[in-house]
Amino acid sequence: MSTINFAAREINFKIVYYGPGMSGKTTNLKWVFQQVPPNRKGEMISLATEDERTLFFDFLPVDLGEVKGFKTRFHLYTVPGQVFYNASRKLILRGVDGVVFVADSAPNRLRANAESMRNLRENLNEYGIKTEEIPLILQANKRDVQDALPMEMIQAVIDPESRYTIHEAIATNGTGVFETLKAVSRSVLSRVVAAG
Amino acid sequence: MVEPAIALFGAAYEKSVTVLDDLLRESGARYALLLDRKGFVLAHKEALWAPRPPSLDSLATLVAGNAAATQALAKMLGEPRFNELLHQGTTHGMYAEEVGELALLVVIFDTSVPVGRIKLYGKRAVSALETLTKDAVVNPAKMGIDTEYRDGASALLDELFRN
Ligand SMILES: Nc1nc2c(ncn2[C@@H]2O[C@H](COP(=O)(O)OP(=O)(O)OP(=O)(O)O)[C@@H](O)[C@H]2O)c(=O)[nH]1
Ligand SMILES: [Mg+2]
Repeated sequence: MSTINFAAREINFKIVYYGPGMSGKTTNLKWVFQQVPPNRKGEMISLATEDERTLFFDFLPVDLGEVKGFKTRFHLYTVPGQVFYNASRKLILRGVDGVVFVADSAPNRLRANAESMRNLRENLNEYGIKTEEIPLILQANKRDVQDALPMEMIQAVIDPESRYTIHEAIATNGTGVFETLKAVSRSVLSRVVAAG
Repeated sequence: MVEPAIALFGAAYEKSVTVLDDLLRESGARYALLLDRKGFVLAHKEALWAPRPPSLDSLATLVAGNAAATQALAKMLGEPRFNELLHQGTTHGMYAEEVGELALLVVIFDTSVPVGRIKLYGKRAVSALETLTKDAVVNPAKMGIDTEYRDGASALLDELFRN
């Protein structure tokens, strides 16, 4: 659940970008960082390896502005997607308010997408959270790659019950990045209101 | 469990700031912050003589991540927890300690200050802050987080994230 700092009249939400290695989670955040005006964002922190793979997390704070006297902020995180970083990936989910699942449209990544979704469920379960209980938005990234997987095929493996709409994206040029972020933010806002 | 919302407001907030202020004065440290486990700043205080601190958001995020990793390590080694985090450089040091289940205290100090002093006053502050944060768990609706808030925020989203 979100953190409310009434002294500063501030409400904060934590949004985590999840998904298999190389699906473009960090690229989503970089695009947001580039596009949001300086007075509405903080520093972007990337704890990454030499070859730019996320090691622990990326972090970007975004200020939405003031609503009803509450300064509203979103803290955006990415997890490391590589399978063997699961211990750190799990830590980043602590206290999450909303998840963006970034799937990879590359033809050889179908299985990686499925496994990462399963891993998300497992890690949320360890915090006692069911995937259905948390705002979750799906993104199919890298729509520009050759022989991109059909959308239905991606959906079939990460969302077999077709509960969610999937947002198409090309994070490298920003296509679909804001759309995805708005969708998860809206979903998180509705959730905090409904919880009241 | 979905992590509970902590709201420090009114007297609880004032008291927390006083605890941080006392801690700085008595220990001679530079900055003191109270964070929740997710890395959000709940309260902070800077010594009067200290220069502007680095970005508190970044600092809070890194400390919370670091603390979470340290606790995961403790569990793997069969320890219920490692009590504190201490980092010492040539001119600055950082001390972090858990404040109950929900929060963390962070103290940044100059290495001219003895670590023992930081720990002594740090632990004292922790016990005072523990009660305060425990009482600070709230229901968002009581704070005026309602549909009007949601619709207002939603409109701002369109403004900020315009393609
Ligand atoms: N063609 C194409 N390449 C992309 C797209 N999005 C990201 N990439 C590239 O894919 C590679 C991996 O992107 P990252 O954003 O680092 O991937 P990640 O999901 O953060 O990976 P991990 O940190 O290992 O989990 C980079 O070379 C990106 O430039 C896209 O939409 N299209
Ligand atoms: Mg990454």
